[in-house]
Amino acid sequence: MKNHLKRGWPVAAAFMGLALPVVMLNAQGGRRGGAPAANVPPPTSPVTGDAAAGKGLYYSFGCYACHGYNGETGARPFVGRWGNLATEKSFLTFLRGRANVAPVTPSTSMPNFSEASVTDKQAKDIYAYIRTFKSSAPAEAKDAPALNAILDAAKQEKK
Amino acid sequence: MAKSPKTSVGRRGFLKSAATGAAALAATAPLAEAQAQRNGTSAVPDAPAPTEAQLAREAGNVRPPATARSITRPGSDLMVQTVRDLGIEYAAANPGSSFEGLQESFINYGNPPNRMPEWITALHEESAVTMAHGYAKAEGKPMLALLHGTIGVQHAAMSIYQAYYDRVPVVMIAGNDPDFIAAHTAHDMAGLVRSYTKWDNEPKTVEEALVALQRAYNEAVTPPMGPTLVVISSEIQKENSPNLKVPAYQPPQYTTIDATHAREIAKALLDAQNPRIEVGRLRTPEGVKHAVELAELVGACASTTATNGPMSFPQRHPLCGPGADTSYDYAFGLEAPAAQVFIQGPNLAKVAAARDTVDIGFGGINGGGGRGGRGGRGGAPAGTRIEADAEASLPLIIDQVKQQITSDQKTRIQGRSAKHAQANHDAHVTALTQAVASKMAGWNASPISTARVYSELWPLIMHEDWCFASPSGFSGGHNNQLWDHNKPYSYLGGQGAGGMGYGAPASVGAALAAKSRNRIVVNIQTDGDLNYAPGVLWTAAHHKLPMLTVMHNNRAWHQEYMFVEYMAGVRGRGASRAHIGSVLRDPFIDYAKMAAGYGMAGEGPISDPTKLSAALRRGVASAKRGEPYMIDVITQPR
Repeated sequence: MKNHLKRGWPVAAAFMGLALPVVMLNAQGGRRGGAPAANVPPPTSPVTGDAAAGKGLYYSFGCYACHGYNGETGARPFVGRWGNLATEKSFLTFLRGRANVAPVTPSTSMPNFSEASVTDKQAKDIYAYIRTFKSSAPAEAKDAPALNAILDAAKQEKK
Repeated sequence: MAKSPKTSVGRRGFLKSAATGAAALAATAPLAEAQAQRNGTSAVPDAPAPTEAQLAREAGNVRPPATARSITRPGSDLMVQTVRDLGIEYAAANPGSSFEGLQESFINYGNPPNRMPEWITALHEESAVTMAHGYAKAEGKPMLALLHGTIGVQHAAMSIYQAYYDRVPVVMIAGNDPDFIAAHTAHDMAGLVRSYTKWDNEPKTVEEALVALQRAYNEAVTPPMGPTLVVISSEIQKENSPNLKVPAYQPPQYTTIDATHAREIAKALLDAQNPRIEVGRLRTPEGVKHAVELAELVGACASTTATNGPMSFPQRHPLCGPGADTSYDYAFGLEAPAAQVFIQGPNLAKVAAARDTVDIGFGGINGGGGRGGRGGRGGAPAGTRIEADAEASLPLIIDQVKQQITSDQKTRIQGRSAKHAQANHDAHVTALTQAVASKMAGWNASPISTARVYSELWPLIMHEDWCFASPSGFSGGHNNQLWDHNKPYSYLGGQGAGGMGYGAPASVGAALAAKSRNRIVVNIQTDGDLNYAPGVLWTAAHHKLPMLTVMHNNRAWHQEYMFVEYMAGVRGRGASRAHIGSVLRDPFIDYAKMAAGYGMAGEGPISDPTKLSAALRRGVASAKRGEPYMIDVITQPR
């Protein structure tokens, strides 16, 4: 049962119409139906941490698992929609303020990070690193030949 | 006699031991005794070890009894003829001494031999059954998997469970050799997997076996479809049966709606100002063809589950979509709930209730309908359900529509269809434009985004006849938004029960279906999934299957990684150790080398997105030549 639960859960959740498929199926934008990626300019607020140290922490703390190696992909991309990451202070508040309730079902939500698990210094270093992330998206679909070809083919479909 | 505590007989180890040479065979002590002597241990065995005579027989070193030489027509030849008459194209198996008689007939009987079915060499019974699972989803009909007694059946157990949960027809034969190795023999072989097989039988004569094979086929393809198992002893496989003939085959009977219902549904569809047809998962391509015919006849917009699995309405058919007017006044469902009336086949719960079963899975096998099961729409309002097979009922409704339709209705339907087609086309282009914009995120990132993998691949296959056979949920599901799923086999959907080790063998099964049909199969392969039984790559290479494997190599079971991270977080323990047990690093696995080891061409690892398109182009070209190809792509996690 344990193994079934572990590997079967996404399928079971999909059968039950739970929220998970939204996470699974919308890894590249977080929204079903292909809504355009947000394009909020990167923040300009001060950064006090060490980006080089933060790079190591970004990997060892598994931030990339949900946010991608560049903050642009995965279940929860943030480049282009910075939100809680607009300032160092709001980032720390976000880290400490996550719900600290053990879920009944597995969750891919942002975990709670208390100071005991991520110190303020570590958090600031991580923040300094993620602030180096920049969008790698082409300016328009025509700058990505494959995407352009996909759109062109659809427009030419028989009606 | 001293016994080893490890008296179970591993088939491969057993064969290996036997193959080490005459010295081993010449030993006077049975294997277990020799082991016990080496180990200095002694214990009561839980199963008898093979004897010297058995070892010799397994190694093919025994002269058959004189009577065996007079066999002119072994029972297994008739069994193969029965399978051939059923139109089964392939039989996949990992060899086992309990069906040597059958194997010999499969590869030698008939003219030409080894055709219909062709013997497919599997490296694991789980792969053999999953191949059959993938084949059935692509073709809408079963192929055969053969399983060795007890140990092979248990190797196959997970994949049988998945086929059952996915309601996919698979026909299986298990060998039983009561006079040979006790560990490979069972009084009730099928009992090992009965909880999740639809039907099983253990015939006692050749004639019974032929009937059982026909029945197994019919049970597998009749709703609710599922895997069936015939256990055939080695005696009747080898029994001389010179005067027997394959019994006359009676095709399965499908439960259809009655004439009154057909008339009423046809009338309602024709009288409606704006009817809609909800289409779930049908059984075969023929059912899809009829669903399209009905929608076109009555000018109804249709829904589809083609982005979730096979055998549903073509996604880009002009009538597939919301249409010009979403105020439907009559909604009719085919294997899918609908507001007024829907036809849905019986569920597996009924089968389970009639058998000696236990509940397995998440609250028991879900038979569909309501919130669960394929083709279902969670929480959708459900009207009157008619329990019958939708596919078999469709011709009756179509006949009624053709009889009842008036020229005025035809004119109205024509106009409505044209408006729907325009609206659906516009809706598609709008949604696709938004989707394309969302896929640009991380476009030039390295490692490569999963969106880019799907985006680069689609223009290369959109004008081919293709089948996407692996589940896409773990790799972003970008096909849902970008690709056109217009064939019954365009996308074969999920594993069934979420069991890993599915993508590659299911793709091999789909590629068996594709091989003679000028079709290519795409397998976007998650790395964790491949490592369960990667030997199936050799099967693809050996049988020259038209299959492109693109690795979604994120070097982890990433969903589980996220789960553990969250759990560690809420317990205040941080995430610095969450990778343990979920991440595949130190060392990384080199999949191109793995493929090469199995004789499959390939390249990678590729992490530079600018190199992806050219690699995919080479891969598609190779698959089209019938040479399976693997591209190891280092990807973003999801």
